[in-house]
Amino acid sequence: MDKAIYIGMSGAKQSMLGQQAHANNLANVNTTGFKRDFAQARSMPVFGEHYPTRAYAMTERPGTDLSSGALMETGRDLDVAISGDGWLAVQADTGEEVLTRSGSLSVDVNGILRTATGEPVLGNGGPVALPPYDKLQIGQDGTVSIVPAGGPPDQLVQLDRLKLVNPPADSLMKGTDGFMRSKPGEAAGPFAADGAVRLQSGFLESSNVNAVEEMIANMELARQYEMQVKVMRTAQSNSEATARLLQNLG
Amino acid sequence: MHPALWVSKTGLSAQDTNMSTISNNLANVNTTGFKRDRAVFQDLLYQINRQPGGMSAENSELPSGLQLGTGVRVVGTAKQFTQGNLQVTEQPLDMAVDGRGFFQVLMPDGSISYTRDGQFQLNSEGDIVNANGYPLEPNINVPENTTSITIGTDGTVSAVVDDQANPVELGDITLVDFVNPQGLQAIGNNLFRETAASGDPQEGEPGLDGLGQIEQGMTEASNVEVVEELVNMITTQRAYEMNSKVVSTTDQMLQFLNQNVG
Repeated sequence: MDKAIYIGMSGAKQSMLGQQAHANNLANVNTTGFKRDFAQARSMPVFGEHYPTRAYAMTERPGTDLSSGALMETGRDLDVAISGDGWLAVQADTGEEVLTRSGSLSVDVNGILRTATGEPVLGNGGPVALPPYDKLQIGQDGTVSIVPAGGPPDQLVQLDRLKLVNPPADSLMKGTDGFMRSKPGEAAGPFAADGAVRLQSGFLESSNVNAVEEMIANMELARQYEMQVKVMRTAQSNSEATARLLQNLG
Repeated sequence: MHPALWVSKTGLSAQDTNMSTISNNLANVNTTGFKRDRAVFQDLLYQINRQPGGMSAENSELPSGLQLGTGVRVVGTAKQFTQGNLQVTEQPLDMAVDGRGFFQVLMPDGSISYTRDGQFQLNSEGDIVNANGYPLEPNINVPENTTSITIGTDGTVSAVVDDQANPVELGDITLVDFVNPQGLQAIGNNLFRETAASGDPQEGEPGLDGLGQIEQGMTEASNVEVVEELVNMITTQRAYEMNSKVVSTTDQMLQFLNQNVG
């Protein structure tokens, strides 16, 4: 049997993987602060004993699109969106410092500021703890100030400052939990705070998925898949023809 | 089976949940003291098919790996405790909390529930009860032949009985607040229950310690923004349609494979 059928199969299989990536982007079209993943196919020549023989396709994720999503007004004090570049530093379950743009924050029973999924948000020195308050204000530079419970409204107390960071985009990758972190090989450890990052309180950043683009990619991959199946079909009919010839010889 | 099928299935069910949340908000647009919910989306785990930095041959490494997302889910609904509009009703036993705080209601099983719905009435015994007949806590009894009831912004309830010149003080209404009101469990009937996430109730006098004042003769309208809900409904519907388009495309791919190979 000719190896063409294997090449067709690998192409079809990789189209499937690429389609999963686009389906995931589309599924997260309403996820706050979601950053879409790229998917691309690359040819992988097979090195035999002497020289490359065939080139198989391979789907890979060259990176994540870090462009900003649209800002949606919510009017809630604890909703923050980062305007321009930058990230909120939060503490993942592993204890590691990871980055997110999903700024739908809430305060837990102990007054710890957490993301919507429960990770503590980091401030200047670790997680941000809030005493009981009447009014909370998050400034553009991440400064958290409150009117303490029962306090006069003209006395804002400055508590902490959210840790806003802006590491180079090419040093980041998305982890399996959806948070961004340093690529392997890049300097590990806590990120350095960046005073230039600005955020908007009362807004959320929508997902940066372009639904039309994802659907076109989805359709394109479906057609490519059909073409790969055609190759497999052709290889099959070739092999049937060969088998017939061999039967006639006997 | 094709992984994209499962991924877009998670998209469909998450948009479905979002639509239920939106429709519940819209259904309660006229519910006194109702607080709107917002569905919180989160991407699911990513599966690493090929590790970035792995070796593709003895002397070459993969410049980027392949990590595929497995979809989306709704991790929770966040109640938004923003203030609703105050509507004047002129009913003496209608009360609204202007600011933070909840009324306490004694449930038939002896536990306490919390509410922002201040439409109270009298029962046959003269107790102040909510629309379901559960008494306000602390209990306030209004004597017979009361001509008028006055509720102060600090919760003091006084009444003029038998047309006497001096009003009688009947008791004080207290409010409670929680560190994390979002952690309260909504049990329907406009009532909430405390949970481990909300923290313990902190009782206090209205208007003090960060609690809101009580406004007599007013009710707090629902804080649902109709325009916002309708816009959310449109985006949810479109996202749903696009995810179902992926399901049908994927299905056609598998159909094509079945018809042509084998």
